[in-house]
Amino acid sequence: MSGETINLTLRVWRQDGPDSQGGFENYQLNGVSTHMSFLEMLDVLNEQLIESGQESVAFDHDCREGICGTCSLMINGQAHGPDKATTTCQLHMRRFNDGDTVTIEPWRATAFPVLKDLVVDRGAFDRIISAGGYVSVNTGNAPDGNAIPIAGAKQEVAMDAAACIGCGACVAACKNASAMLFVSAKVSQLAILPQGQLERSERVISMVSQMDDEGFGSCTNTSECEAACPAEVSVTNIARLNREFLRASLCGRE
Amino acid sequence: MDALCRICCIPAELLVKVPGLRPVIRMCCTSVGQKVLMALTGLALCGFLVTHLSGNLLLFAGEEAFNAYAEKLHSMGALLKAAEVGLLATFLAHLGLAISTTAMSRRARSKQYAQNESKQEAFAIPNGGASNWMLLTGLGIGAFLVLHLVDLKFQVRPDLVYPSASQDGTNNAYAKVKLVLSSPVSFVAYGVALILLGIHLSHGVRSALQSLGVSHPKWNKLIEIGSMVFAWAIALGFICVLGWVVLNS
Repeated sequence: MSGETINLTLRVWRQDGPDSQGGFENYQLNGVSTHMSFLEMLDVLNEQLIESGQESVAFDHDCREGICGTCSLMINGQAHGPDKATTTCQLHMRRFNDGDTVTIEPWRATAFPVLKDLVVDRGAFDRIISAGGYVSVNTGNAPDGNAIPIAGAKQEVAMDAAACIGCGACVAACKNASAMLFVSAKVSQLAILPQGQLERSERVISMVSQMDDEGFGSCTNTSECEAACPAEVSVTNIARLNREFLRASLCGRE
Repeated sequence: MDALCRICCIPAELLVKVPGLRPVIRMCCTSVGQKVLMALTGLALCGFLVTHLSGNLLLFAGEEAFNAYAEKLHSMGALLKAAEVGLLATFLAHLGLAISTTAMSRRARSKQYAQNESKQEAFAIPNGGASNWMLLTGLGIGAFLVLHLVDLKFQVRPDLVYPSASQDGTNNAYAKVKLVLSSPVSFVAYGVALILLGIHLSHGVRSALQSLGVSHPKWNKLIEIGSMVFAWAIALGFICVLGWVVLNS
């Protein structure tokens, strides 16, 4: 750990609205505690901006515990910053050195339009989930938790896929802005479990179709998404999605 | 895919009535389906490379063996023509799908990052992965193929004097290969193209298997190493043939 406080030059993307041009603004921020999280550092920047009568920087955040997937930010060209398996809210300023220039950009993808500054609209992910990322339970009481036996190993694989927090880092890091890791995680977690079998074929077809309609790119198996994923979702899920898609396309009901 | 899909979708109403075509057409109109086709055509082209290299390795066995093989191949007539047409169609489909999926991906990120860094440790240099160079290496190989066909299939290189057929009508394929490869233009172009082929396959084979869903934690390391060995065995195999022919000229 270096000194207790550091001075930084922040190069922040500012954009008034979805249709504005946008551009980088440089801000000098002195005396940043190395114990702060990255978002706390942005809070301090915003206080400084408000005090000097300027508009604060808009950025997404919610739980600040690395669970909700709301925070985003491309920090020095890396989704969620330099650490692996870490969201922006869990990134600490001790990872930076005194005098550093830190470039902060929003996720860049046609399917994730910038709403303001560093905030993007990730509604495309919600629409993909609406297309099939669920199981239908139409009648009766909630079933007993242990009524359907599921092998421990299967639960583990399903849980690894379900670890996806839907933050969009996979899309942000992918050179093609492809959403395959996200969609494959959501397809996998249900395809592996017995509860997901009923809608298995329709689900994968609908979700892939929605993914294409949203304007995400295609997957070139570069694995940059896996490296950027804060939940460490594996590209093995993408292979499973491909299998599920082939199976549904060729053998599923019309 | 859009361009291809549009071409394909104009007669779609008629095509979907053909038994078995409907699910295939629907699949091909999605990004995942296109990647599956890309993988299938790519692996088919790999199959061709294996047979092509096997034939070329006969150059090591000497003039007689190589010429006998060439004669036998050309005596297949209609079968050979059908194979050539199939090969051309596979190549064009692979190229068309590459352009269509690349266009889809370009549209997906209309604005680039001011700064972009990989989080993958394997990349020693920026954009070091072969996956970043698939379109360029592929187009390079395509350009080489045009030269290769001009050189040896159509035999119309203006700067070369091809040996004429002997009296009994047989062609000396061995002499022609030596003649073409002794041209510095061909030697350099073939050498560069084969390195591009190695780079292209080093990502392509593994990626094709992933696109087809071939992945298992137990086997992934083997698939990765096997794909890499296959890619460079093919490229180095052809480079050996190239070097040997030139050294023996």
